[in-house]
Amino acid sequence: MTYMSKILILCAGLALAACTDADRFGNNNGGYDPNAAAGDPTTPAYFQQTVGDRVLFEVDQSNLTAGAQSTLDGQAQWLMNNTAYNAIIEGHADEQGTREYNLALGARRANTVHEYLVSRGVAGSRLQVVSYGKERPIEICSEESCYAQNRRAVTVISAAPNS
Amino acid sequence: MKHILTLVTMLMMWPVSLLAQDGEPLRLELTEGVIEPLPYAVPDFISDNAEGAEFGRNMARVIANDLSGTGLFREIPDKAFISRITSFTSPVQYADWKAINAQALVTGSVSVDDTGKLVARFRLYDVFSGGELGSGLQFVGTQAGWRRIAHKIADQVYSRITGESGYFDSRVVFVSETGPKDQRAKRLAIMDYDGADVKYLTDNSSIVLAPRFSPTGDRILYTSYESGFPRIYVLDVASVGRRELESQRGTMSFAPRFSPDGQTVIYSLTRGGNTDLFSMDIRTGNSRQLTSAPSIETAPSFSPDGRQIVFESDRSGSPQIYIMSASGGEPRRISQGKGRYGTPVWSPRGDLVAFTKQAKGRFHIGVMRLDGSEERLLTASYLDEGPTWSPNGRVIMFTRETPGANGQAALWSVDISGRNLKQLQIASGGSDPAWSPLQN
Amino acid sequence: MNTGQIISGAGHLGLIFWALLGGLFSPEPLPVETTDVSMISGEEFAALMAAEQSPDAVAIIETPEPPRIEDAAPDLASTADDTPDLSQPDTTQETPPDDAPDVSRITPPDVAEVSDEAPQLTPPNEEVAVMVPEISERPRERPTNRVAPIPVAPSEPDVRIDDVAQPEVAPDEAAETPQDVTEETAQEEANTRIVTEADSLEPPSSSLRPRSRPTRRPEPVEEPQETQTASDTPDSTVNAALQEALATPTSAPGGPPMTRGEKDAMRLAVQRCWNVGALSSEALNTTVVVAVSMTKDGKPISGSIQQLSASGGSGAATKQAYEAARRAIIRCGATGYDLPRDKYDRWRNIEITFNPEKMRIK
Repeated sequence: MTYMSKILILCAGLALAACTDADRFGNNNGGYDPNAAAGDPTTPAYFQQTVGDRVLFEVDQSNLTAGAQSTLDGQAQWLMNNTAYNAIIEGHADEQGTREYNLALGARRANTVHEYLVSRGVAGSRLQVVSYGKERPIEICSEESCYAQNRRAVTVISAAPNS
Repeated sequence: MKHILTLVTMLMMWPVSLLAQDGEPLRLELTEGVIEPLPYAVPDFISDNAEGAEFGRNMARVIANDLSGTGLFREIPDKAFISRITSFTSPVQYADWKAINAQALVTGSVSVDDTGKLVARFRLYDVFSGGELGSGLQFVGTQAGWRRIAHKIADQVYSRITGESGYFDSRVVFVSETGPKDQRAKRLAIMDYDGADVKYLTDNSSIVLAPRFSPTGDRILYTSYESGFPRIYVLDVASVGRRELESQRGTMSFAPRFSPDGQTVIYSLTRGGNTDLFSMDIRTGNSRQLTSAPSIETAPSFSPDGRQIVFESDRSGSPQIYIMSASGGEPRRISQGKGRYGTPVWSPRGDLVAFTKQAKGRFHIGVMRLDGSEERLLTASYLDEGPTWSPNGRVIMFTRETPGANGQAALWSVDISGRNLKQLQIASGGSDPAWSPLQN
Repeated sequence: MNTGQIISGAGHLGLIFWALLGGLFSPEPLPVETTDVSMISGEEFAALMAAEQSPDAVAIIETPEPPRIEDAAPDLASTADDTPDLSQPDTTQETPPDDAPDVSRITPPDVAEVSDEAPQLTPPNEEVAVMVPEISERPRERPTNRVAPIPVAPSEPDVRIDDVAQPEVAPDEAAETPQDVTEETAQEEANTRIVTEADSLEPPSSSLRPRSRPTRRPEPVEEPQETQTASDTPDSTVNAALQEALATPTSAPGGPPMTRGEKDAMRLAVQRCWNVGALSSEALNTTVVVAVSMTKDGKPISGSIQQLSASGGSGAATKQAYEAARRAIIRCGATGYDLPRDKYDRWRNIEITFNPEKMRIK
């Protein structure tokens, strides 16, 4: 708890509203000012919008597509360049599954991303994983177009506690 | 005169001699009856004072809602009544109730005694046989507890007619849901089984999931994101105090369930992306790993004798249902059909497993035997999941979610025969119901 | 013995029947049956109650004041004091979700539901109320409340539902004898098995047959036949009884054997009232054999009904299984079963095996 609190206090100090607001699971421009930050490659906004903070998965799968791997390569690079930040990897599932199974499935996805980032050189101690199962969809229609967006792992950047 | 006496004697002997002397009786075998709601009447309970009169009417309504709500009974409305019950002790005019085809009749009286307690009595009559089913009973309770007294009377009526215990004096813990799909606020809530008297046990600041009652109904296990990560908590229903049960850094724990003796909790723990089943002694906090496979093992449920566990695993490539010893060991797969199976829940009688099945783009709640045979799907919709058994094993409650951007979750129930599918009427959306045992 | 003596003997026999059937077998229970209820005093009732009370306080419940859970709900604000937990969306408990930015997606029903502080049961909002199982255009078995061996299509709306389908019998003005006006009744709509929601997605293997015309003939009107005998009894009922007694062939005791059709008709007639829907699954595993004696007009004698044997269930389950069987015999026999009157001896005593085996998996 204290570890989390420190992260969050610092997070608040940096005025990263995206860490706190209810739209943290939203798919864009949460609390960032794109004009001010997106151009600066050291900001979380840049990470989110330019590097890409998420990868998508096939139905029931947790393996990474080629596109996902390239996104994660970018994420790993950014994290290694910006050691002032840590990350929480959130795994999600679409609504086509039972609640507890989807929780475990989301954890699998988050873990795949975690392992990939570590394999690309990011220190495991800077990463945490959590699964939301199907509790936090970003797209709310009940069609494959939405399901596809919800089967995701999102890398959420936060300030490292000792930076 | 002597002849007349002889005749009378003969007449009195007649029925006996009919049975004794005649030849072969006609023998018939019936194998197919009908299944239909049994018509009954429950006139307002009578009261000798004005205080009791309102209780009398309300209690009769709660009893009728309980009985008719099962789908096994059909109430005959009071406008059809030929005779009125004006005294609890007067004989019942069976002919009047036969005439309106009331096969069962519930009569009662209610009063408020000197100490302010509610005193309710009832009797149950088998109208066509012209006698009482069981004897009259009296219940004493607080005025605030009038619903519970009515539920207890309905439980008595139910068990005297069906031969199995009732489930009306019970509660349901569930997750109350408000707000749109991508901003859904969830909080733990508890209510009477019929949706009355909803009370909240947590606020809506964190996601809460899948609560379960302890075997005595006084504690609730659930999963909460209070810490930022899913962790399991145990909550005392009376004080609403709660504590975290399991918290290892870098792990997630969820899907907790009590053992039938209330001493052990089984749950899923995810570490390094892999989810396995664990058990924990709730007093010492010592935990033990039950499965160690690279697959997902979750949604466990104890057998009523506590010796076995039924759970969900995707070790075969898709989620299926397995049974293993409560201490671990080699599981055996029981689900045999095509499709994905999840959330198995052992029936209170121990002979069935209720489950969620996903096949051909639809979700079903179903039941099967312990060897996977006699699978029977009870429902079908866009998304049904998470069955829970009524205390007597006759009814299953579950979550049904509607599709689309405005999709809502609601609590539904269905008889294990597949009849009487209906939605519970509660003020908010609801999911993940768990039925309590019958209250004492 | 001359004809007169035979007639006289038969007449007396008829009288015996009349006395027997008319008096003892009155469908109305005698008031005596209920006096044990009415005579009970308050003290006796209390004593009875005490005797009935099981130690687990079924009879007297102490309902504790329910805890005021809402008041005691955990207040996150207090825990947030030492660690400002900014990850929480908003620790203000009362903040409704529609403060959230994405207002466009909030539909009116959601707004209505935001009042989640209200623990009262409220009527469902319309959004919820329309959540009925989707029904396609195709004909299919419809879930009904009733399952019967023979499917029954929905009846016309003005037809009363009864256990026994009866055709409408209108008063015949020309008839000399008073005729009962029989309201047309129909059996309640039924499927041959329980149709679940999952089943009703599939098209039916066969369509529901339309309701067949009621097979039960109207009660034959008992027309007093001209009797040749010189009976000095003025009572026409006795006359009729006498007539009936005379009509019974005495040469072949018991009459000709029951035909298979006659037996089946009786079996089906009882089955119609054998409602196993409210039985526990254990009672549904219990087969009971029940004996009943019949009056000459095909009515069961309530007091004669007894359980001969039972197998498969415990005491309680057997009791419920027997009670359901007893209700079936009495209810469907209330107006008399359609049995061949000339074979009374063949059906005077009936033993019925109620085997619910096939009903378990309906």
